[in-house]
Amino acid sequence: MVSRAWGSGTSCSVIGAAHRRQGKPCQDASLSCQLGSGAQQLQLLAVSDGHGGSRYWLSEVGSAQACLAAQAAVEEALRGHPLSNREQWLRQLQLELPEAIQQRWLEAVHRDWQERPDSETTPFSSSVYGCTLGLVLMAPQWWGCTGIGDWDLVGISSPGEASLLSEESLQGGAAEATTSLCQADVLGAWRERAQLHGLGDGPAPLGLLLSTDGIRKSCATDADFLQLCSQLMELESGTPLEQALMEITAQGSGDDVSVAMVQRSGQHSGQRTGQHSSSSLGLGRLGPVALALGIAAAGAGGWWWLQQRRPAPSPIEREVAQLCGAPERINASLSQRREQFLQLLRQPQAGKALLQEPERDPLGALIAGSMGGSASLQACLPLKQALDAHWQTARKTPVTTPPSPQVPARP
Amino acid sequence: MPFPNVRLSNRPLHFIYLCDCSGSMAAQGKMQALNQAIRQSLPGMAEVAEQNPEARVLVRAVRFADGAAWHLAEPTPVQELQWRDLEAGGITAMGEALSLVAHALQSPPMEDRALPPVLVLISDGQPTDDFDAGLSRLMREPWAQKAVRLAIAMGHDADLEVLQQFIGPEPAGGGKSPRRPLQASNATTLAQYIQWASTAVVGAASMPASRIAQSDENGSNIPLPDLPPTLLDPTDDVGPLVW
Repeated sequence: MVSRAWGSGTSCSVIGAAHRRQGKPCQDASLSCQLGSGAQQLQLLAVSDGHGGSRYWLSEVGSAQACLAAQAAVEEALRGHPLSNREQWLRQLQLELPEAIQQRWLEAVHRDWQERPDSETTPFSSSVYGCTLGLVLMAPQWWGCTGIGDWDLVGISSPGEASLLSEESLQGGAAEATTSLCQADVLGAWRERAQLHGLGDGPAPLGLLLSTDGIRKSCATDADFLQLCSQLMELESGTPLEQALMEITAQGSGDDVSVAMVQRSGQHSGQRTGQHSSSSLGLGRLGPVALALGIAAAGAGGWWWLQQRRPAPSPIEREVAQLCGAPERINASLSQRREQFLQLLRQPQAGKALLQEPERDPLGALIAGSMGGSASLQACLPLKQALDAHWQTARKTPVTTPPSPQVPARP
Repeated sequence: MPFPNVRLSNRPLHFIYLCDCSGSMAAQGKMQALNQAIRQSLPGMAEVAEQNPEARVLVRAVRFADGAAWHLAEPTPVQELQWRDLEAGGITAMGEALSLVAHALQSPPMEDRALPPVLVLISDGQPTDDFDAGLSRLMREPWAQKAVRLAIAMGHDADLEVLQQFIGPEPAGGGKSPRRPLQASNATTLAQYIQWASTAVVGAASMPASRIAQSDENGSNIPLPDLPPTLLDPTDDVGPLVW
């Protein structure tokens, strides 16, 4: 049972079209959960965006751990501070939660590092786990937010009307730059983003949508972004939301995209009400790492939300749908996997591994599944033709290098 | 269309050549080599653009000699670009060229969601106008600060100091670096550098990756790719020194 002031939240992270094409993992994570009980009950939304790029090569772990650290820190704060004391909670959002989250996150990524073989030869650096974090708390009498980095928070004031409630403001010269959870001296940046608003203080938003920067950068203008947020808020969670996010990244920035959103009670679409239980953790598609972290989340008090009421499309089906939905991108996607075509010819057994775990590399699994021809593939004609053409090209390519162990394109 | 009234869009990546067309470029086939290098790089650049559909690669070019003017004024999709030869003659109004680019990097017309632009300055000589004023004008624009700024020195008469000022602070240590002026001493090396800038750098700039504000990142706004291996290998034969 959630706070009566707010409906059930939902969250979703989807791998970016560019990352998917290149076989990289989703570096976003998101979380929606209910914490506490009775009068001490609130909801938490969080989104985290791993920086990506070779320098931040473990940022998908960093972003997942950021959401978990936020959950644990808010739970602890909830035990020590009555929700009725708004001054205390504003201080929490400005100062104490940032410190607690950052400390927990640092401990978590340090533990992760120590379990890696690299730790024997390379000193620990939190920057390889670098990520942003935005969080929103919804209590019965107020809502508040804090965080660090280039996440955005949008408020829905009435159906179709949205406004930007929080965004990162960096001085000129930033260029894809953002503040990060791995920076030691940026508590001031958290404080700038901290807000707390009473629900009775004035016009309160009917809905709140927290998003990573990939969403906003996919829109032509801020007006389009706000319109998009309004429309996302109306979507049924689960597969429709996931498919919408896939379309956004494919037609837009190509970046990983995440949203976490909630509506005030009585504002829900009929479809959404009752579909959500009290916790969901969207970790992109991190495979075993995500699974392990998800289990950790369950141990920390959250529990997985099994949202599918009908069979969800398989990773390969989703890949096919995405490519056939944007046929002009088919060749771009397959061209970047030329080496994978060649490696599959050299090591056909690697194709089995891809097909056994299609969620790890859906495009790789699709390619492996088409190795014997695309005739049996349930796909649009342009995709079938492109797959067959790439296989034909690969078969004509002379073998010049020994096999390398990279066929499962994802770590 | 599941999102009525919403314009989803890939992100423009502006690539701007600033080409020295002073009279000295007519000597030893430098102008011809530059035209050929740019023309030959276009198919590779178009291929990179095709492989990164989330970026919309748009090319422009400025020529500078007695004055500066747009040689290719419209941001042109690389796939549609037909390179028109530059011609040499005059002095080296590099500062004016920087001012011209500064104007183009104002926002608007620059789009809020553009990727960091790539600016490639190519010169064989020394500025004959007020370079400092031009650079100052350029660097007042946030998009110029965000840009990836590269410089190619053609021959040994190029003013490496001003090219370094254009790029930004010189990296520590010795050796070749994209953060230093790239020295092309013949047509082959020039073509390799132009190819590298128009493919590897464009590919890196097309990628949606964040970086930490105020971090070092080797002084660059994007993680710059390594220079082509042949250019780092002093034993590699890249042709005779002709400039």
